[in-house]
Amino acid sequence: MHLGVLTRAPWLAWGRPVLARLWGMLMVLGLVSVLVFVLTRLAAGDPVALLLGDQASLQDIAQARARYGLDAPIVEQYLRWLGEVLQGHLGQSIFLQMPVHQVLLDRVEPTLSLALLAVGVAMLIGVPSGLAAAVWRGRWIDQWVSTLAMLGASMPSFWMGLLLIQLLAVGLGWFPVSGYGAPDASWAQRLHHLLLPALVLGMLNSALITRFTRAAMLDILGEDYIRTARAKGLPEVRVILLHALRNALVPILTVLGLTLALMIGGAVVTETVFNLPGLGNLVVRAVLRRDYPVIQGALLAIAGVYVLINGVIDLLYLWVDPRVRHG
Amino acid sequence: MALNLFRRHLLASLLAVLPALALSAPPKGGAAQLAMIGEPQSLDPMASTADLVGTIMQHVFETLYTFDARWQAVPMLAEGMPRVSADGLTHTITLRAGVKLHSGRDLDAGDVVASLTRWMDMAPRGKAIGRDTVSLEARGPRTIEWKFKVPQASLLAQLALPSGMAAIMAKESLANPMTSFVGTGPYRFRERRPDQLVLLTRHEAYSARSEAPSGYAGRREALLDELRFVPVPNASTRLEGALAGQFHFADQLNAEALSRLEKGGPQVVPIITPAFGFPYLVFNTREGVMAQQAMRQAVQLAIGPGEMLEAAYGDKRFYTVEGNHFPQGTPFYSTAGTEVYNRKDARRAREMAERAGYKGEVIRLLTSRQYEFHHTMVQVMAEHLKAAGFRTEMQVVDWATLVQRRGDSKVWDIYMTHSGQLPEPMLSPPQLGEGAPGWWSTPGKAKALGDFNQQTDPARRAPLWAPVQQLVYTEVPYIHVGKFSSLSARAARLEGYVPTIWPFFWNTGLGR
Repeated sequence: MHLGVLTRAPWLAWGRPVLARLWGMLMVLGLVSVLVFVLTRLAAGDPVALLLGDQASLQDIAQARARYGLDAPIVEQYLRWLGEVLQGHLGQSIFLQMPVHQVLLDRVEPTLSLALLAVGVAMLIGVPSGLAAAVWRGRWIDQWVSTLAMLGASMPSFWMGLLLIQLLAVGLGWFPVSGYGAPDASWAQRLHHLLLPALVLGMLNSALITRFTRAAMLDILGEDYIRTARAKGLPEVRVILLHALRNALVPILTVLGLTLALMIGGAVVTETVFNLPGLGNLVVRAVLRRDYPVIQGALLAIAGVYVLINGVIDLLYLWVDPRVRHG
Repeated sequence: MALNLFRRHLLASLLAVLPALALSAPPKGGAAQLAMIGEPQSLDPMASTADLVGTIMQHVFETLYTFDARWQAVPMLAEGMPRVSADGLTHTITLRAGVKLHSGRDLDAGDVVASLTRWMDMAPRGKAIGRDTVSLEARGPRTIEWKFKVPQASLLAQLALPSGMAAIMAKESLANPMTSFVGTGPYRFRERRPDQLVLLTRHEAYSARSEAPSGYAGRREALLDELRFVPVPNASTRLEGALAGQFHFADQLNAEALSRLEKGGPQVVPIITPAFGFPYLVFNTREGVMAQQAMRQAVQLAIGPGEMLEAAYGDKRFYTVEGNHFPQGTPFYSTAGTEVYNRKDARRAREMAERAGYKGEVIRLLTSRQYEFHHTMVQVMAEHLKAAGFRTEMQVVDWATLVQRRGDSKVWDIYMTHSGQLPEPMLSPPQLGEGAPGWWSTPGKAKALGDFNQQTDPARRAPLWAPVQQLVYTEVPYIHVGKFSSLSARAARLEGYVPTIWPFFWNTGLGR
């Protein structure tokens, strides 16, 4: 039976599991859309009252709510929004009076640049110090690195941010305090604005990379082939950098990838302290303004990216591992 | 010797004149980076009453009247004061000649009628004026005629206010929502990048008034090429940016920032604006335990605004403990009713509440941490109330939630908020008008405010505020907690800046 399916039509063996996974992705997105919608509406607060200001009367607020369609029953509002999303529109920001997809696209660049730079910083700090801690295991350098990594992992980023702002931006004047430069700023100016926040984010995240590098290196340094390499009389530097580190890179790269993914959605505090117009900052401000379409659009987009990545990985498993395909 | 004497005199007079010259004319050019408290709710100053919107857009749009340094309403786009008919019901206003819109066209009466009609349609204060309006029409290219049902004592102040502004706009630009912002101001709108900046550039064809600058009034000159309003919601980031010289102006800093500014070197100047605003407590007079006047009076007697202000601001330079609603030296200054202010008399408050039939019902105190001083003051107040035998429950929510909840008379008893210290009583708090949260509406209110608002002669109207203030202390729809000062900072090189409630940047320039 099993063989028969394969010989009859190979696409059938692929078709069903692929369809099942696509269906699963759609279901997850549908569920996310309901959750996001309900959660934003469950939170008290009113975007219109904030928009109209403190002097607006209750009657003004009621009229404006009707204009934005916020007085309709929640099911009706949801279906209207879902209809728009299915047609490819994420709606219109109540506060910014702009299409939500435009608002989101504007924020991708600062967030992505910050995340890449910060991962670079984290790698530059984390890999060498983890390496040193593993090579000189149990010595003073290992203890220092472990203590600093612990400190880094437990330090709040807003505090670290403010500290570095006072020291490097206000005190020494090396960096701008905040922002992303003027609208017409060159890429060099943008980079200048990103360096300090990237340093903060990178330093704090380097702790995890340090610990992973140390652990991975310790595992590999105990392997037989390292002993063999040493026995062959290879110089120690060569053994560590070429033989050990190269093999330790796989888990390190995995952690780097995870860190990058986390930073894209989670650099909220750093973006706020440095007043960077990124995605995290946008979501926080949208929540404070109760700008429902932006909150919904941003969360749905972020969830969509995660679902897509997971979906692609699932499909890759199908391709790589026949057991998954036929299981 | 004689020559030496002459030289010395010359030198002395030059030295005396030079700083004066430097002061009177800040240099032209440059772009100012202005760190504001957030992203403006809108760029349409009729669509939102938020102060931030008015602060930015007052550079783009102007009004018929504006406030001078003594908070008197004086002409801006209007040529002079209005001609008022003998019955006080018809106001005729003539516009200044040759005022250029940003589009290059001359401003005319059609623009003014269209703009004010929109204001009466959209803005909360405009709507109130609109209800009293019989007609508003152009009478010739530069004259408008405005007829009312009842005399309008506060009309000019309402027209002058920057928040919920009666902005004069080009009639062809009027739309909902607005997409182009065409006014007559010294700056024109260039670009808005959400959460990054609002960019204004100089209006080269601006037609200034000839009078000397005074407050918002008189000659306005755009010395700076560009105004860059940068939203920086985090107060620490605004402060650090001012200290580092990245921002030329940082609005509304925390009181604790003063010591850092004072140690920040000669390039940064702290700005304390006294009597910037007043915190106030609003009572739910419609339902619940505070609906009874005697209970509100008991609470008024129990609390100590002095201690509340001290806890919230710490430094005495940032608050004034006084019950008069308007500062000394202003037309509406009065001490009527203030004998019950700041008493903290737990014993008498308890007796009063018992007589009013208080049985230990919970008093729900609604407050937000958006403004830390609100939260601190309510915490202290709750202790005062407990000492007088009241049971309280603090509901600490975010600002958006507070704004929504206060509209529902079933869910709160007292909430805390604050307002700018405005020159005209009818501008704030909104509880003096109709329909605001708290729902204060009594025959006494109708009588006192009726008398106050129908008297159009400023000299005779001012003393009529005392009975209103007395009534507020008797019926307790709200409690004026005291006054607070604000702290901002500017770069020393931002010259010509005049501290005020809605900061403005015409007549200011960037020195070396």
